Amino acid sequence: MLFSRRQFLKITAAVSAATALGISVPDELMAVAKQTQAGWRWDKSVCRFCGTGCGIMIATKNDMIVAVKGDPLAPVNMGLNCIKGYFNAKIMYGSDRLSEPLMRVNGKGEFDKKGKFKAVTWERAFDEMTGQFKKYYAELGPKGISIFGSGQYTIMEGIAAVKLIKAGFRSNNIDPNARHCMASAVVGFIQTFGIDEPAGNYDDMHHADSIVLWGANMAEMHPVLWSKITDRKLSKPDRIKIVNLSTFNNRCSNIADLEIIFKPNTDLAILNYIAREIVYNRPEAIDWEFVNNNCVFATGPVDIGYGMRDDINHGKFSSSELDTVAMQASKIISRDEAHAMSSLGIKAGSRMQMKNAKKPGKHWAISFDDFKKGLEPYTLDFVAKLAKGDPDEPLDEFRKKLTKLVDYYAAKDRKAVSFWTMGFNQHVRGSWVNEQMYMVHLLLGKQSQPGNGAFSLTGQPSACGTAREVGTFAHRLPADMVVANPGHRKKSEKLWKLPEGTLNPVVGSHYTKIMRDLEDGKIKWTWVQVNNPWQNTANMNHWIKAAREMDNFIVVSEAYPGISAKVADLILPSAMIFEKWGAYGNAERRTQHWKQQVTPIGKSMSDTWQIVEFAKRFTLAEVWKAHKINDKVTLPDVLAKAREMGYKETDTLYDVLYANKEAKSYKWPDPVGKGFFNSEAGGDKRDVEGFKGYGFFIQKYLWEEYRRFGQGNGHDLADFDTYHKVRGLKWPVINGKETRWRFNAEYDPYAKAANHGKFAFYGKALKSIPKGDLFGPKGEEKLNLPNKAKIFLRHYAEPPEMPGSEYPLWLCTGRVLEHWHSGTMTMRVPELYRAVPEAVCFMNPGDATTYNVKNGQLIWIESRRGRVKSRVETRGRNKPPSGLIFVPWFDERVLINKVTLDATCPMSKQTDFKKCAVKIYKA
Amino acid sequence: MSFYEKKCLIVVLALISIFAISSVYAETDEISEEELGIRKETLYDENKTTPVYGEPLKEEAGDSTRIERAFENSPPLIPHDITGMLPIAQTDNICMGCHMPEESASSGATPIPRSHLFDLSTGKDLKGKLDGNRFNCLQCHVIQTTVSPAVENLFKGEFRDEDDRYRSNLIDILNEGVEED
Repeated sequence: MLFSRRQFLKITAAVSAATALGISVPDELMAVAKQTQAGWRWDKSVCRFCGTGCGIMIATKNDMIVAVKGDPLAPVNMGLNCIKGYFNAKIMYGSDRLSEPLMRVNGKGEFDKKGKFKAVTWERAFDEMTGQFKKYYAELGPKGISIFGSGQYTIMEGIAAVKLIKAGFRSNNIDPNARHCMASAVVGFIQTFGIDEPAGNYDDMHHADSIVLWGANMAEMHPVLWSKITDRKLSKPDRIKIVNLSTFNNRCSNIADLEIIFKPNTDLAILNYIAREIVYNRPEAIDWEFVNNNCVFATGPVDIGYGMRDDINHGKFSSSELDTVAMQASKIISRDEAHAMSSLGIKAGSRMQMKNAKKPGKHWAISFDDFKKGLEPYTLDFVAKLAKGDPDEPLDEFRKKLTKLVDYYAAKDRKAVSFWTMGFNQHVRGSWVNEQMYMVHLLLGKQSQPGNGAFSLTGQPSACGTAREVGTFAHRLPADMVVANPGHRKKSEKLWKLPEGTLNPVVGSHYTKIMRDLEDGKIKWTWVQVNNPWQNTANMNHWIKAAREMDNFIVVSEAYPGISAKVADLILPSAMIFEKWGAYGNAERRTQHWKQQVTPIGKSMSDTWQIVEFAKRFTLAEVWKAHKINDKVTLPDVLAKAREMGYKETDTLYDVLYANKEAKSYKWPDPVGKGFFNSEAGGDKRDVEGFKGYGFFIQKYLWEEYRRFGQGNGHDLADFDTYHKVRGLKWPVINGKETRWRFNAEYDPYAKAANHGKFAFYGKALKSIPKGDLFGPKGEEKLNLPNKAKIFLRHYAEPPEMPGSEYPLWLCTGRVLEHWHSGTMTMRVPELYRAVPEAVCFMNPGDATTYNVKNGQLIWIESRRGRVKSRVETRGRNKPPSGLIFVPWFDERVLINKVTLDATCPMSKQTDFKKCAVKIYKA
Repeated sequence: MSFYEKKCLIVVLALISIFAISSVYAETDEISEEELGIRKETLYDENKTTPVYGEPLKEEAGDSTRIERAFENSPPLIPHDITGMLPIAQTDNICMGCHMPEESASSGATPIPRSHLFDLSTGKDLKGKLDGNRFNCLQCHVIQTTVSPAVENLFKGEFRDEDDRYRSNLIDILNEGVEED
């Protein structure tokens, strides 16, 4: 940035004043005068939607939002938003906003799974929820209950939820929708660097010469970041090169210099081609000083399955599903796979047993020579033929493009940044492809420097800040800690003031597994918070049946009645973003806080309040007794230790986890909240069922306690009040200063303190690994890798389901600019609804002819799992090559997840929503 | 009633209607899951549901009527047919042909406002040149189809000056209410 924001304010003020001379346009002074007159109050906040994390200014009047503008001081977006960002103004005001709890009841007013919904009081709702919980908790223990969490939780909500389920109920069955969105990125980070979150920041876009997108349609999904890239391109059109790698043509291609349309899953092969080209033909491009000082080479098993059910004959599969799900156990190796993995001696036509499906993440160090040997088959001849995604493109053209791609990465005088999102992450080999991206950047020494780096973009507003950093996952604790590590549990118990042994060491069920467990009757009570599992989960016909036909109790906290609310037993009305205090952490590690702007609508209450109120209904005696988890693990009774700590058996989880002595020391009112509401701390004008507020500043307490987890280990955050004075800070925040490029000693105090030269990949996880060769680990000796990153050799593999004679087309799903996720908010903004009211089926005109359907015609899209109707669009913003269709998932009337396959990356457990096989026909 | 009073009345009515929805569910005794939400048809049989059809507005550029903004300085919606105008590509942005201020006088199109002719990151006046960050028009400006909203929205945008229903004064009020760090 050439000017400080402060300077800018003065400049625009002067300009405004000057241009106002002699013209009737009101000058700034007049505008300010008018503001007072009109009774508007402006305050800074954050956009509700994507992971970009744009700052917005909200104008309120008479306790309602009246306008939104971009925040000119926000470094992320500097006053600019996308269409969804501006329409934050309207998202809370849909007329069917849920305003009271709704419960399924019979004629006598008793809960009835087969009943219709009826409005009930919060008291009644919590009573039923508690009774049902206690019934199933007694039957199944901590394994039988769960929470579907969110990457859209505020950070404080995430903390409250994790504390309740992990520390209170001693269950690890909490997993966020971020599992569907970022899990592969996380595995890539942890395996490569030993610590989560991107090293770079948005300034990379202003420094890079080569900007390469891999399965990231930024023009629609991260529009404000795309506007920065577009500006960079237009400012130096000859120097800056943009490459769009995708399985279909999209809006990014219109600004890109090079568009590479590849066949689904062959990104794995293209990345190996880039590495092969560098290693074999352009060795001078390798930054050996960087590699020798900072990296080791590694690999892992290839027979890891596809994250589907282990029982390939599970009784709930329909017969049409059986051939695909059988791949979980074994598959016949194709000629392409055999060629790709020829260094492992794998033969075409042989059957690969998925022996490592249970331990897909294990890995070991290999030599550079082995790494080189593994890459050998990925020649231009092999990869171009395998990867070319548009049958109508000449092979020679495609070959030239691949070569050019290597030029843009490898040229010594070019800084290169790679961006990716769901194309990589929602991938049956998502963790591998993330690792491969780092492979390219690490080989070239183009990582963790301004304009140089592999940059994983995040999808949701707080996937990084809440889901990942707070650790609302089945295996995680705050600040990159994990439940399986005794030291991590001990530290967490100390910080949360729990008796030693309270936390459960057994990893819980991940998001898709919670659905499978509901279907199997292994989980019988679940609570949905800030997301929409029954619309966002692949293969949903199974899950809606599990919700409605199995013995279970499903609570859905929601602002609007979406699909999950429809299949719920109890719906709780939730306050929305600007109706509560909160904080999000975005894709560049920037934490941004906001204040409550207005009173929640109806009797809706924040998720934090709901969690805390529920906690009041459990005494320590009920939850901190012994629980058998499995044949090997029984959680100890910790009540004696609790007594030693001064707790009583009759204390509630509210007393211990949320309203303890420290919590009450955060007083409300507090100077930082002067002039603003805090419905949780101080109650509000509605006096909902007599609630007058907790009397203490609960959000500040949750924040201050939480940030102790990260202090001193690379996850440092500033104190609560600081964030209300600044436009966010990128963690780690040390001595009030944010960290711009992680691992780079010039910018990152942790890297400097490591005293390891210019770079230190100081993450601590998975830094002691065996040595071995291409075929496996050899010997007992472990290699310790302090401050080093791993360059992984990974191979091309086909997805478990590919187009064939019966289902001849690839189906790829995703989002559109105008709608967020399942559309519960944006479909209620008339301007956005009218812009894109339906999820159409983007299709190649040639395919339309082949399948005898016309543009605008209604068709069925059918897979082995289900079918939905959609309208053909051959001239839309996305132009697939023949053989592939794209359908967005926001539309309740086009529930495309009835069609998709719930195969996941076996390492990350993230579903591949980007590929399965379908057929189409006229409806 | 003055305009200001009228606006107050609108806000009051909006508030009343918001509180009114809290009683919608209470009035009807029982609500089936089909009555909830946007999709009113059963979830369990796709034969029974059909996506809505949105037909884009057909008026040609130049013949269309401007659509009132949703609130002060909200991005204006595209009121005309854009068939044949896309894509907006590196070297070809057809929107600018009519909407750049120097063109709009003759074309009659809504002129790109001054906020777009500034580099907001540096505070530099681009002297009539479009800021590169604003090049992808469709990021903020979207077409409309003829469908009726799925759900009514009770938001009421405010315009402190009647003229702002159809124009931007963002550059003048950009810093209003923005406190320095």
